[in-house]
Amino acid sequence: MLHKKVDENLDIDRVFDSPAEDFDVFIRIAREEDIAVARQMAKQLAQEAGFSLADVTKIATAVSELARNIYRYAKQGRIMIKKLLDDREGPYLEIIASDNGPGIAEIDLVMTRGYTTYERSLGIGLSGVKRLMDTFAIYSEVGRGTVVITGKRRRKF
Amino acid sequence: MKKLISKARVVPVICLGDFLLVPIQIDLDDRTVGLLQQQVLEEIESTRARAVILDVRMVDVIDSYISYTISETAAMARLMGCRTVLCGIQPPVALTLAQMGVMLQDIAVARDLEHALLIAGSQSGVG
Amino acid sequence: MNSNGAVNRVEEMVQELAADSRLQGLWRNFLTAALADNKEKKQVEQLKDSLSLLFEEIGEQAFTAGLRAMAAKNPSLPVTDLLCTVIQVCGEIRRENEQTINNLRQMLPELATPIIRIWTDMLLVALIGNLDSHWAQNIAERLLDRVSAARAKVVLVDVTGVPMIDTAVGGFLIEMFSAIRFLGTDVILTGIKPEVAHTLVKLGVDFRMVTIARDLEDALRKGIAIVTGEKKKRRQLAWVMTGDKESESGEEIDI
Ligand SMILES: Nc1ncnc2c1ncn2[C@@H]1O[C@H](COP(=O)(O)OP(=O)(O)OP(=O)(O)O)[C@@H](O)[C@H]1O
Ligand SMILES: [Mg+2]
Repeated sequence: MLHKKVDENLDIDRVFDSPAEDFDVFIRIAREEDIAVARQMAKQLAQEAGFSLADVTKIATAVSELARNIYRYAKQGRIMIKKLLDDREGPYLEIIASDNGPGIAEIDLVMTRGYTTYERSLGIGLSGVKRLMDTFAIYSEVGRGTVVITGKRRRKF
Repeated sequence: MKKLISKARVVPVICLGDFLLVPIQIDLDDRTVGLLQQQVLEEIESTRARAVILDVRMVDVIDSYISYTISETAAMARLMGCRTVLCGIQPPVALTLAQMGVMLQDIAVARDLEHALLIAGSQSGVG
Repeated sequence: MNSNGAVNRVEEMVQELAADSRLQGLWRNFLTAALADNKEKKQVEQLKDSLSLLFEEIGEQAFTAGLRAMAAKNPSLPVTDLLCTVIQVCGEIRRENEQTINNLRQMLPELATPIIRIWTDMLLVALIGNLDSHWAQNIAERLLDRVSAARAKVVLVDVTGVPMIDTAVGGFLIEMFSAIRFLGTDVILTGIKPEVAHTLVKLGVDFRMVTIARDLEDALRKGIAIVTGEKKKRRQLAWVMTGDKESESGEEIDI
């Protein structure tokens, strides 16, 4: 699975200004405590959607990584989660993390395991999210912000 | 004379002979993780413990920042002559850590408290 | 409308459609339910049952031939309505079958991958077949829950029944093994065939975090050694913690 890069059609500002009512979970990340709140709400939503406990934990962990990146590198942003229903395939959770922060110059670089610009960290956040989830896309523009869209489908068996 | 007492006690630390037992029952947000590290290191210094056992049975999410802090604490503890044993990782957390490719360096893992004491007490470095 | 006339008409058709009394019964059930104006739950069930049985007994071809003959003889028969009903029922039967298949699929990994308590504190899992991502995750989740509930000290993983281990499967296995290690449980791996070993080395998949055993017997021996070794250490620890405190406290006074 390749991570998608800059998409001409995606407007970072529009994603950032998405209305809250379009989502099941909508959390502004501005303080450190918000990370734990986002994690907890994601967990609850995934649980209600019937994901296995392991997958619930993976989703909560992914949200934790994305929320922390927002807090650390962009100071503030949003975590938005939507439950999509599909008769044939079963429920699907989509997580959008968006910020109007500094943006990322080299996507390939930050997606590399172990790459970090932060002093006290492993640099496995984004690559970890990609591994934990089924789909992963990242869009970023320097000076405008970053959007990560990632999703996980409930396993049938 | 009183020994240094940590300014912020975020967890109750139990002294078991040469060992320190740290049951982590709070939701680990970032600030708490940092305070926890500070407190554990101070307690190691004041009690001169040989090993510290971090009991994470109640922790339901361990992300990269938390695992980094745990590894870092263990590395610092090692420099103070103290071994770190992590015990009670829940199956969903274990699966998540494994899928993220996290490796806990300088740390031994134990099934439960008894096993943790066993590892903490044994002379040879158990992985 | 379901008057005596309609009943008689059904009876006439039934006589022409089949000679065998069993088949006549099936046709009768089918036609009365299909031609009823207000289909209640009971009649829908009857329709489904008789239709499935008819398909089973005479096949779709003979069934459609029967319908055709009926329509030719009785121009007043609402053939379109009848066909619509049949299609609907077929759809429902198909959905039920899909559900059954899904349920069976759910059970398959369970049946194919039993987890056995082979010794005190030791579990054995024999992986069989080609592991795909969903399967592997399902097995990993079940195995971890078992290991945790049983407080197993050792898990023996036998991959004799896995015909091919590519990077993807190797990746699943590594993930599963390191997850088991996070629980504080040892993994002993056995059953890697020479050709599999060859590909593994070429792909750069090494299983450093596990003990490798030649065969199941060797694995069992190594497992028992771990279990008993821990028991011994446990006794020593109890002895140290209760009996031999003086030297330690003496040290403390020094400092
Ligand atoms: N929202 C963002 N805005 C700007 N830069 C970001 C953002 N998210 C990540 N980055 C950059 O990408 C790098 C890699 O991020 P990643 O989450 O993978 O690792 P990390 O945050 O450095 O460490 P870890 O997540 O393991 O604690 C970061 O160091 C940072 O430079
Ligand atoms: Mg990060």
